[in-house]
Amino acid sequence: MHQFLKEIQNRFPIHDVKEQRKNLTLFTTEKEQVVPLLTHLRDHEGFTHFVLLTAVDWIEEDLFQLTYILNNPEKKVDLGIRAYIGRENASMESAHHLWEQVATYQRELKEMFGIDFPGSPRVDEEFFLEGWDDIPPMRREFDSKKYSEETYFPRPGSKSHDPGEYMKQKLYSDDYEEEE
Amino acid sequence: MSKLKDILSPFTAWNNLARDPVTIKDPINDRPGAARYRGFHQNDIEKCIGCGACESICETGAIRMVEVDEVETKEGDSGLRPEVDYGRCCFCALCVDICSTGSLTLSNEYIWVDEDPEAFTFVPGIDKKPWDNNQDGWKKPEPDYELNIKERVRMPEMQAEERENSFVEIVKGYSREQAIAEADRCIDCGLCQATCPAHMDIPDYIRAVREENLKEGFRIMYKTNPLPEVCGRICTHKCEDVCAMGHRGDPIAIRWLKRYIADSVDENEYQEALQQENPKDKDKSIAIVGAGPTGLSAAYYLALMGYSVKMFEAQPRAGGMMRYGIPEYRLPYNALDQDIDYILSLGVDIQYNTRVGKDITLDALHEKYDSVLVGTGLHAGKSTRIPGTDHEHVYQAVDLLREFSKGNEIPISEKIVIIGGGNVAMDITRTLARLQNQKYGQVNITTTSLETEDVMPADQEEIDEAREEKVNLKPGWGPQKIEIENNKIKGLHVQRCLSVFDENGRFNPQFDESQTDFFEGDMLIEAIGQGMDISYLSKSIRDGLDFTQRGRLVVNDYFQSKQEWLFIGGDIIQGPDVIHGIANGHKAARGIDMYLRGDLRYE
Repeated sequence: MHQFLKEIQNRFPIHDVKEQRKNLTLFTTEKEQVVPLLTHLRDHEGFTHFVLLTAVDWIEEDLFQLTYILNNPEKKVDLGIRAYIGRENASMESAHHLWEQVATYQRELKEMFGIDFPGSPRVDEEFFLEGWDDIPPMRREFDSKKYSEETYFPRPGSKSHDPGEYMKQKLYSDDYEEEE
Repeated sequence: MSKLKDILSPFTAWNNLARDPVTIKDPINDRPGAARYRGFHQNDIEKCIGCGACESICETGAIRMVEVDEVETKEGDSGLRPEVDYGRCCFCALCVDICSTGSLTLSNEYIWVDEDPEAFTFVPGIDKKPWDNNQDGWKKPEPDYELNIKERVRMPEMQAEERENSFVEIVKGYSREQAIAEADRCIDCGLCQATCPAHMDIPDYIRAVREENLKEGFRIMYKTNPLPEVCGRICTHKCEDVCAMGHRGDPIAIRWLKRYIADSVDENEYQEALQQENPKDKDKSIAIVGAGPTGLSAAYYLALMGYSVKMFEAQPRAGGMMRYGIPEYRLPYNALDQDIDYILSLGVDIQYNTRVGKDITLDALHEKYDSVLVGTGLHAGKSTRIPGTDHEHVYQAVDLLREFSKGNEIPISEKIVIIGGGNVAMDITRTLARLQNQKYGQVNITTTSLETEDVMPADQEEIDEAREEKVNLKPGWGPQKIEIENNKIKGLHVQRCLSVFDENGRFNPQFDESQTDFFEGDMLIEAIGQGMDISYLSKSIRDGLDFTQRGRLVVNDYFQSKQEWLFIGGDIIQGPDVIHGIANGHKAARGIDMYLRGDLRYE
């Protein structure tokens, strides 16, 4: 792996290399380098199989992290290529021309995170969330609890209690009064 | 040739006939989730304490803490249990990851069909389900995956060599960063509040630390405890024993956070922070006998209610055991005075050097005041009464501690034997160790107790610190006889103590007479407990009181005695410790108010 990584490093700016486990190495590159790098890995390094594409919302840094996992079936090793893109009007170069199924992952990321992949087939069509009427739900500013409470009405009959208050009522309500 | 291969090759597939299929045989009925699959919840009801961390973290509002018949509300357990609404649950398992005890897990079962939609809301562990005993599913990954921080922020302390001949306070107090970090570990469940004898609003004042709203934290503390400088240092912190974080790590350092708040408010800012005054709008007056925690606490709350309060204190200063029992290296006098001065500043009158029963009678107070509260504590040292205890160089720990606190010289010899395993024993041991260091340049003290170390009543930190200060601790020995030669004490004969209490929990020590030892010393101190001195109760008063068969005074929930004008609280009734005294004083103050308005009878 080391020799191979050195060669990659000669051609592309990669950093934060981490050997997650023996058959999976992760590294980070620049947003603009992702598609050329994927092409190189597919065509010259035997990473012919595309495993998945996913995202993480680093809201504090105002960034999305994209991770592309590729597999070399010959050597039975995986590579994870990471890149960071700005959260606002998030957009990324599409890689669907390299592997057809990438379009599906990109469509999912558009729906779940709001990351656009211009030119990717059917990228604006609903994928999983039929009839969704809120901001993309995997964005961290999405308030899942509020959405849940407004959308899925509570089952009647059960009542929640604050443990501290409940114990006060049960064990010592007589001992304690607000004194002003 | 190639034609033959074309014909034969399909038959090579026949090889696979002997292999195990990788598919599931009966996918309609048999579809197990993966070993770490996140399916329906399981909850170990015995282990769960109902802290509600699962409800707080739930991102979809799927969990509600509900009452269940099967679990009783008791100290350390709210009795509530989580109910899960599967119409909302997204199976993220954050509830499992945050669970304070590790009781909540997810099974790997994910298939469940029912025609009744209500069935999909249930209380795991209470409402029995087929997957309750599934071993697979999502558990908190061990050992190094933890959402809660297990270790408390370490309290900076003076090292043993710095402190061994000094009475400067050992514990230095948290810095701002340390306090905020420690407060941040609190999950705000409030289980501690029921256990605190004063029911202090602990989660609220910890939140005040987190949010850096310290004056608000200070006001919250004073609602239930007017001695926060004291309790922030020497409270027995029962709250920490039931802290939800204590189940898998260190409990929150509640006591040190209290101290941090109290220390953050300067003495001259008290009035501005609390904005209290005694309106003196009630024409009734109350006498309080003893200016210890009970008396001071009652005085504070009665003053705020508008009563005239007069305290009578036998010693030259206020504080009781807080001043005359607890050494300065644990509770510096300036911290104690800060609490006391504020209470007195509310117009509480105090008469020092006045022993009720001797300088003035209780009957006289009864005549002059509308109600009397006594909180005279336990100041009479008990003796082992073994042969030799009548020797002039056998002392009581409480007497020496009191004299030393008054600034008087106390006897100190080169080799000392101390009997006792409680905090008073540790206090006298460590006080004398310092004095020996100052006078002789070394420590030679043997402190022995009936109890073995695991059941010694002293706080563990007291035991550890005594050892660090080079005291020779000998737990698990019963004193038999003091060896005296030519009227000089030579030492203490002991035999192995096997157990201290019988199966009914009564004091009934058992010894192994074949195992004996001898601890050398030329001075001996007893610190085996204190009794009350209630000789100030005249016969006529005493005859009107209820006592239990074992001679304990009986009072009602408001510390009112059968002589309805007389209230009794503190160590005589409960404890012994400072926080019970404070709680008793607060409740007695409310009782006195009710009594004076004609709303309270003894019954």
